[in-house]
Amino acid sequence: MVDQNAHPPSVGTSFQRVDLRDKVLGIAKYTADLSLPDMLHARVLRSPHPHANILSIDVQPALNMVGVHDILTPFNVGEGKVAPDVPILDTKVRFVGDEIAVVAAVNVYEADAAIDLIKVSYEVLPFSTNMDTSMKKGNPKIHTQGNVVNGGPIVEARGNVEEGFDQADYIVEDSFTTPGHHPASLEPRAALASWDGTRLTMWKPSRGIHADKAILASALDVNPNNITVIGPVMGGGYGSKDETRTSVLAALLSMRTGRPVKLELSREEEFLAGRRRHSTFTKIKMGVKKDGTVTAVHAKTVMDTGAYLSSGPGVVRRAGQGALYLYRCPNVKYEGQIVYTNTPTAGSYRALGAPQGHFALESLSDQVADKLSIDPLKFRLMNHVGPEGQPGERTTPKNQIIDTQPVEGGIPFSSNELRQCLILGADAIGWERRDQIQTPTGFIKRGIGMSMFIYRGGPGGQSKAKMSLDEDGFFTLNVGFMDVGEGSSTVVLQMAADTLGVLPQMVRLNSGNTDNTPQSPMTAGSTLTFSAGQAAVRAANQLAQIVIEAASEVIGLTDTEGLYITPEGVCSARGDEVNFTDLAKKSGLLKTTVSVTPGSRDYIVNSFGAHFAEIEVDIETGYVKVIKYVAAHDSGTIINPRMAESQVRGGISQMMGFTFLEDMEIDDLSGVTLNASFLEHKSPTIMEYPEIEVIFADSIDPVGPFGAKSLGETPCIAPAPTIANALYHATGVRLNHLPFTPDNVLTALRKLR
Amino acid sequence: MENNVTQVAFKINGKEHTLDIDNRFTLLDILRDKLNLTGAKKGCDLGECGACTVTLDGKAVNSCQILAVKIASSEIKTIEGLNQGNILHPLQISFIENDGGQCGYCTPGFIMGAYPLFESRRNVSVEEIRLALAGNLCRCNAYGAIIDSVVGAIGIKADG
Repeated sequence: MVDQNAHPPSVGTSFQRVDLRDKVLGIAKYTADLSLPDMLHARVLRSPHPHANILSIDVQPALNMVGVHDILTPFNVGEGKVAPDVPILDTKVRFVGDEIAVVAAVNVYEADAAIDLIKVSYEVLPFSTNMDTSMKKGNPKIHTQGNVVNGGPIVEARGNVEEGFDQADYIVEDSFTTPGHHPASLEPRAALASWDGTRLTMWKPSRGIHADKAILASALDVNPNNITVIGPVMGGGYGSKDETRTSVLAALLSMRTGRPVKLELSREEEFLAGRRRHSTFTKIKMGVKKDGTVTAVHAKTVMDTGAYLSSGPGVVRRAGQGALYLYRCPNVKYEGQIVYTNTPTAGSYRALGAPQGHFALESLSDQVADKLSIDPLKFRLMNHVGPEGQPGERTTPKNQIIDTQPVEGGIPFSSNELRQCLILGADAIGWERRDQIQTPTGFIKRGIGMSMFIYRGGPGGQSKAKMSLDEDGFFTLNVGFMDVGEGSSTVVLQMAADTLGVLPQMVRLNSGNTDNTPQSPMTAGSTLTFSAGQAAVRAANQLAQIVIEAASEVIGLTDTEGLYITPEGVCSARGDEVNFTDLAKKSGLLKTTVSVTPGSRDYIVNSFGAHFAEIEVDIETGYVKVIKYVAAHDSGTIINPRMAESQVRGGISQMMGFTFLEDMEIDDLSGVTLNASFLEHKSPTIMEYPEIEVIFADSIDPVGPFGAKSLGETPCIAPAPTIANALYHATGVRLNHLPFTPDNVLTALRKLR
Repeated sequence: MENNVTQVAFKINGKEHTLDIDNRFTLLDILRDKLNLTGAKKGCDLGECGACTVTLDGKAVNSCQILAVKIASSEIKTIEGLNQGNILHPLQISFIENDGGQCGYCTPGFIMGAYPLFESRRNVSVEEIRLALAGNLCRCNAYGAIIDSVVGAIGIKADG
């Protein structure tokens, strides 16, 4: 039994981010901050060609340099693979920047000098920098299976979309494109490998140390029991720091030289060899009756995965979920196709395909409202999916956990406060004055726009947690997940401490090392708080029981009746007390291990939200200024309000880059990325950071731990369509192609004149 | 390759150093690789992100853009020089209190970027804070909390 009145709960309070003190002191250690005695430094030779076969490589002059210890080439690395379509190194290069050879030397200057001495002989191949060229028949295959992944699109449907369009009075259709912008986490990829003859220790920025360990074991053909992966503090990833060749190359160099090897990517390399968001082309169509009822939605998305597939299948599926599920509608269809090109690889980036899909869907939705002469907010209030879910029949068997991206109807949501988000957000932005703020004359046009979203609510893979009461009277929570900068370690700690009934300061979190943590899924898909949280709560509940049983023995009671946990120890109703330190000393180590499969067999667990923006457009310069932004989210119980607000504000500002600035520009003639730097791939700065009001809907999810649902990625979904709709409201011009740079805005405005 | 080395004397966080410096090294390289002061980060090595910001004779600079041989007789302050052991600098306290960092990679750079403003011992506007930090990128986009953090620290100073 836990005495709920013993101290104020931590959940729901803005408990301080656990690792922030080390970060402000400058003593938090990131991978690149680490070094080992006798460490070598590695540098990579990258392809100057977008598509070529490597015929031969002459490394001898480079190897003859005094400071050079080893050079990896496709001809000496073995047959291992980093991913199904990514060998450790390949005799074929597929984009400008692809890895060819890697030098280990005494310092980076010597390594760079050696790189310059490596002679590569190429058979240059025809190439494709865009999806249209890639899909043309007869064009050279980037991978043997062909340029369209799996030969065609994935297709998801509910009802009959043709019948749905037959029932419609109006059909509105349009096309949209989104850019392949880069997350450009401030910390470039890095890896530090140390091989001692039998064991490999790898330090790397990671969002899944156990997954990374499996990849290293498979690629290097080393027994996983002989590999330790350690995830130091991570300098941002936003989903993008999926495994690339970096750590495998460092490991192989260390195994061959017998010395520790550090490989740090430069900023340019991070842009080229990291992972960016898939650029997309979406054609979308919605059918409505005159009364505003939606009868059909059909979306087709084609996305550019670049040279390698990475997490493309997950991304392309997620791009369709808005079209399939955001509007109450019996007939929907989504087709999603992935295409290889000879450009830098796209992969996971915060909210995966959802921002792309929602940009098309929510821009189109405004056009439909326009067609019906209905206020866009009212149209959404009429048609958004409600708590009861979608019409139709459940097809998932009763005893199975419901997918968080369902297609079928007939399943209610565990919680759905989208309507509350729409109403609260509209109120905060002042939607009712929308008709009065437009400025018919002058160069500055003002407008208000909005959009809404749906997203996975948090159930992820099987999650484990170990929890113990240690000899010093403190508790340890052992988990295998990684805090990737978003603060999951803090919120999971809060939940565990509250469940146990002690202060969070009493609980140590142990994570980030594969040797002493249980298996855990990656920090991905906004699942951490929900899934690791459920595991932590269950572990804490079990440990509380174990602690109370141990205390009853120590106190000398026959049962646990009336015993309860306080912040200091265990008390009985009649006044006996044993503190945690004494209990640990007398009872020995008290511990428990749990494994949970997160999710629900009865409900869809999803998160929702609605965003609103008031903007000013300078029609002389094309510059758009965000005056005020409102984000209303249903993420269930908010475990840590201040961190949650930081997450929402940060996500919105980050996506102002997607909306206004960022795109990787690749030259069609050479395949060269033209803007692989912060100077040229411009991201939002503190100068244009807008006022952002964050609203959390009053919502408690019955499935989530403490009622919580996902929040990590959800702030990133709605910003672009919200701004697009505000731009339309301000100027009467609809922009279907992101980003809305001043020149793109000006070009669109001129077309109108 | 011939390594030209220059002996350079300078002061970091109040402490005198005399080092034989490889002429190719930047101040950031010296801090990170020779002095184990890894608080300043290498985000771009091109002066475009501000993660390596330190102060050089009182001014905030991108340490990746300063050749180490040029720092002779200069006085440098890094994030590690702000706190006195467990006594944190008001900027550091305020960044904690206002959740002014998420992944934290940019945090030392932002704090050092704001430090000259703090040292100027005058009231500053939010616009001045933004301008002082315009060259620092935060890819978590914690800009709102960063502004709050700097405002909070300067407020502490005005009161004290």
